Amino acid sequence: MGGKVTCTLGEVKNRADFIVYWGGNPAECHPRHFTKYTLTQKGRFVPNGRKGRTMVLVDIRETPSARAADIFLQVRPGRDFEVATTLRALVKGQRVDEATVAETGLTLAQLQDLVDRMKGARFGVIFFGMGLSMTRGKHMNSGAILTLTAELNAFTKFVCMPMRGHGNVTGADVVLRWTTGYPFGIDLSRGYSRFNPGEFSTVDLLVRGDNDAALILGADPGATMPQPGIEHLARIPTIVLDPKVTHTSRLARVHVTTAATGISAGGTAYRMDEIPLPLRPALVSPYPTDEEVIRRIREAVARKPAWVPEPGGLLEPVARPV
Amino acid sequence: MLRITGGTIYDPANGVDGVVRDVCIAAGKVVADVEGGRTIDATGTIVLPGGVDVHTHVAGGALNFARGLMPEKQRVARKFLRTADRRGGLGGLTPTTFATGYLYAGMGWTTVNEAAVPVLSAKHTHEELRDTPIVDKSCLLLLANNEILLDLLEAGEVERARDVVGWLLWAAKVYGVKAVNPGGVAAWKWGKNASVMHEPVEGYEKLTPAMIVSGLARLVDELGLPHPMHLHCNNLGNPGNVATTIETMQALEGRRAHLAHLQFHAYGGENWSTMRSGAAEIVEAFERHPNLTADAGAVLFGDAVTVTADGPWQHMLHQLTGHKWGNLDVENETGCGIVPYVYRDRHVVNAVQWAVGLELLLLTKDPWRMFLTTDHPNGGGFWRYPEIIQLLMDAEFRRAQVRRLPEAAQSRIVLGEIDREYSVYEVAIITAAGPARALGLTRKGHLGVGADADVAIYPSKPDADGRLFTYPRYVVKGGEIVVEEGEIRQVVDGREYVVRPAFDAAIEEYLRPVFQKLYTISFDNYAVEPERVRDAEIRDLPEPS
Amino acid sequence: MIRLVLREPLPVPLEAEVLSPDVMATLAHDAIRALPVFLGKHRRRVDDCFRVEGEKSDEVTIEGDASRVKWIGRGMSRGRLTIAGNAGMHLGAYMSGGAIEVSGDTGDWLGAEMSGGLIRVRGNAGGQVGAAYRGSPKGMTDGTIVIDGTAGLEVGMRMKRGTIAVGGQVRDFAGLQMLGGTIVLRAGAELRTGAWMMRGTIVSLEPIPMLPTFAPAAEYNPTFMRLVARHLSRLGHRVPAAEAEGAYLRYTGDAAVPGKGEILVWRPR
Repeated sequence: MGGKVTCTLGEVKNRADFIVYWGGNPAECHPRHFTKYTLTQKGRFVPNGRKGRTMVLVDIRETPSARAADIFLQVRPGRDFEVATTLRALVKGQRVDEATVAETGLTLAQLQDLVDRMKGARFGVIFFGMGLSMTRGKHMNSGAILTLTAELNAFTKFVCMPMRGHGNVTGADVVLRWTTGYPFGIDLSRGYSRFNPGEFSTVDLLVRGDNDAALILGADPGATMPQPGIEHLARIPTIVLDPKVTHTSRLARVHVTTAATGISAGGTAYRMDEIPLPLRPALVSPYPTDEEVIRRIREAVARKPAWVPEPGGLLEPVARPV
Repeated sequence: MLRITGGTIYDPANGVDGVVRDVCIAAGKVVADVEGGRTIDATGTIVLPGGVDVHTHVAGGALNFARGLMPEKQRVARKFLRTADRRGGLGGLTPTTFATGYLYAGMGWTTVNEAAVPVLSAKHTHEELRDTPIVDKSCLLLLANNEILLDLLEAGEVERARDVVGWLLWAAKVYGVKAVNPGGVAAWKWGKNASVMHEPVEGYEKLTPAMIVSGLARLVDELGLPHPMHLHCNNLGNPGNVATTIETMQALEGRRAHLAHLQFHAYGGENWSTMRSGAAEIVEAFERHPNLTADAGAVLFGDAVTVTADGPWQHMLHQLTGHKWGNLDVENETGCGIVPYVYRDRHVVNAVQWAVGLELLLLTKDPWRMFLTTDHPNGGGFWRYPEIIQLLMDAEFRRAQVRRLPEAAQSRIVLGEIDREYSVYEVAIITAAGPARALGLTRKGHLGVGADADVAIYPSKPDADGRLFTYPRYVVKGGEIVVEEGEIRQVVDGREYVVRPAFDAAIEEYLRPVFQKLYTISFDNYAVEPERVRDAEIRDLPEPS
Repeated sequence: MIRLVLREPLPVPLEAEVLSPDVMATLAHDAIRALPVFLGKHRRRVDDCFRVEGEKSDEVTIEGDASRVKWIGRGMSRGRLTIAGNAGMHLGAYMSGGAIEVSGDTGDWLGAEMSGGLIRVRGNAGGQVGAAYRGSPKGMTDGTIVIDGTAGLEVGMRMKRGTIAVGGQVRDFAGLQMLGGTIVLRAGAELRTGAWMMRGTIVSLEPIPMLPTFAPAAEYNPTFMRLVARHLSRLGHRVPAAEAEGAYLRYTGDAAVPGKGEILVWRPR
């Protein structure tokens, strides 16, 4: 792939004159995004604030976020990859097929205009949301935005950033990377970390029924997974740690109510741009924190015979002919 | 309590050059004598102070970014299986944190200096260092592109600048100051660079890279930091950058500095086809500036990952190689760029680069000034230091490697003509005693009474590949035997060295509104809380001079 | 010949890279039974999961529904592996020689990063056939994979050389970032075929949706298609090449890269 070209949100605030939101609805899902980081802020190099910035919204329907946009591009559902691929070609001055482009719901003229504006920006940014990363194409949609961004840097300064979901997913990603080397979709059963989305990622494991127990913390797969995955969770011993009784709790063998992180439990959260922020609990909770519960589970497990990886577990790399 | 007996001791800081005698340890320190406890029979070994890596990238946002960028490298990295008392992990060029500690200790290195920390993500760095076992750590704060600071330097507000630097150092809970491509990383925020020392930086009227270099060096000296300003010069990697490096030395005007990974800054020639070694020229200038120390940043043929705050250079490398590219600009402070790379011995430029690092180490007469690093992981993995040591110690072997290089490379380097061979004593200087002294860590890098009991014990005979230092028989850290016969036996926690400069606390009144205007977090969330640094050893600094 | 019969359905996936001619060719019966396999995090013996017959052979047969058995034939370089039933993920990954024959279906990552040898699947395959593992610059670098049924996403992703032929329809991203080699889609594909391809040839015998970054170039009967046809007919896959039957409409792309790949779409007369 091209790689990942990004920045922290303050760079956007201070410099961005061209902002694209693609596949997300920040007005409703990231309510302070416009006002704290991107649009209305007066930045060091964008002293006119909103007037010094152009915002483009790319989405399948007009959400409340469209009211904040200067340009709204309504793309047909599931066609984002075609649009991003077309943009990559246009950036390089390559020919594309006009009729096929039109099938995306956007015209060649609209996309050429977008490319011209992107190249003409002083500092451009694309924020891409789950409307892109979770629809047909999935990681390739994200990959398309990442690659397009890297390629735009041949012309001007351009960055991109994923709009993260709730639950400190960025923090989990960061910590998993430094301890296991991978951000998610990790298997430890052979004694060391292995990464393969589609094989070890949660939805796939559950749908195929590959696991025989589950510990769910800070998520509600019982509400979001495909039906076979939900049925599997109900069949196997499932443990849930959550401040609320969730859909998953109702399927689970055990539910432990824990204190709400950020409200009555402290810790560190990582913002979507990977800046660590301390969480200072404002209220006291009668329930234990997630951390306390995990520690107590670990202590109980430690009283059993220790599991250490068995010899022979290493899948040695296979030497490839050059 | 521990007695190491029968080994041949190399302790250059105390003038001990290959003497057979005991090293006695009690309560984590070297002592004059000890009764009881364990005795290690070190007959047939050489005994050195534990290694001190003066410049490496092992923890924090940039390195963690690199970890995620290259799953294909992680897949083939060395695996550390979990045991009853040892965490699992992956080795390779961007090792996971637990593996980093085991890898360094497994080589006999006991102190590492994380070379690049942004203030904004310093909390993250400390969390990773806390998860890096065994070794002691220090880290350096990236300041040469800090826009609050640059604004003050431009305005000539030196005293306020000094208080800001003091405040930032204490807020980040770090040990020293790092300067990377001064002005260039700030210019990269607009896609530009700063390669000319006396030209104003993008967005500034007066402020030049030279002014940042001299300004920051002065502040470091006034604040009395134990380690000098640690400087990654402008114009890294470009043919002909010898001129920029020498200009930089001059710009320091006699102030202390440590020049990082000098190999990348020692190229002659005008372009890639005429690029050649400028090591001799650099060493000549370096020796004329006694205020400087340096580390080699040598490269080895094979896999590497370039991880640096030099954003513009990384974009160029990406365009040149087509390899994947990671970039993360940190608001108002710095940035990082990541590009995986392979140094090939058939590639003329790589061959010259390989020679330059070795030339710097061999041509510099005083080993107390030029230290062994690969700027891990930029030049190669740190566990390959023994390969470099072999090339320094064995002229015959070295010349044979030079003869294998492409014809076109051989005429651009002088390495083949150098006869010098490093002794074990000198190796102990460039891997331990020298870096410890440059870092101002007075209890590291030596085996005199009062030193921290960090000791590496190696067979005195080379291994099958002709190398020393590849396989420690024992490694002692803080008086505990952590490695025995090449295996991790015990895991201890290391400490973190932190400085507390003296600055006017009222500077916060200046900083708070400026910060709130420029940043996107609350000022009260900016500083690293003391509890976040495990086993911090805080050194209070004197009032500014 | 060595015969392994799965004893009972597996509760979780079994990782069994030891089930390979290279591993078993020189081993006596008891040694084969004692080889390690991994059931989740527990190490087991082969004979905990399989009934074992035979020894010291590079002809290995596996019977029973092995759809949960992963890594069979990993890195093999010789011999013949016959699966009478289904097989799990990573079948034949990294193989460099020998032959694998599957009567049923396979999981994802069939023949991933292989560099030689032959894989034949009578049933359906999953996704990432002959592909590169995540982050790897290259997928298969040689060899032949032939699938009678359907296949999933990213067939031949980043493949560099070799041939993949699929009898049933494939899903999105066939030939994604292709670097070379040949993919033959006898029943066409869903979306985004050839996305971001650099080089290589994708042949589709059915019309397929094209990305906007592909342009039609010519309609003709390329000479090399006769070679492809001959190679594949020996493996039971008929590919038309004769002028009398029709011609191929050649598309070039992907302009997004820009790449010099081609997609040949069959137009019968």
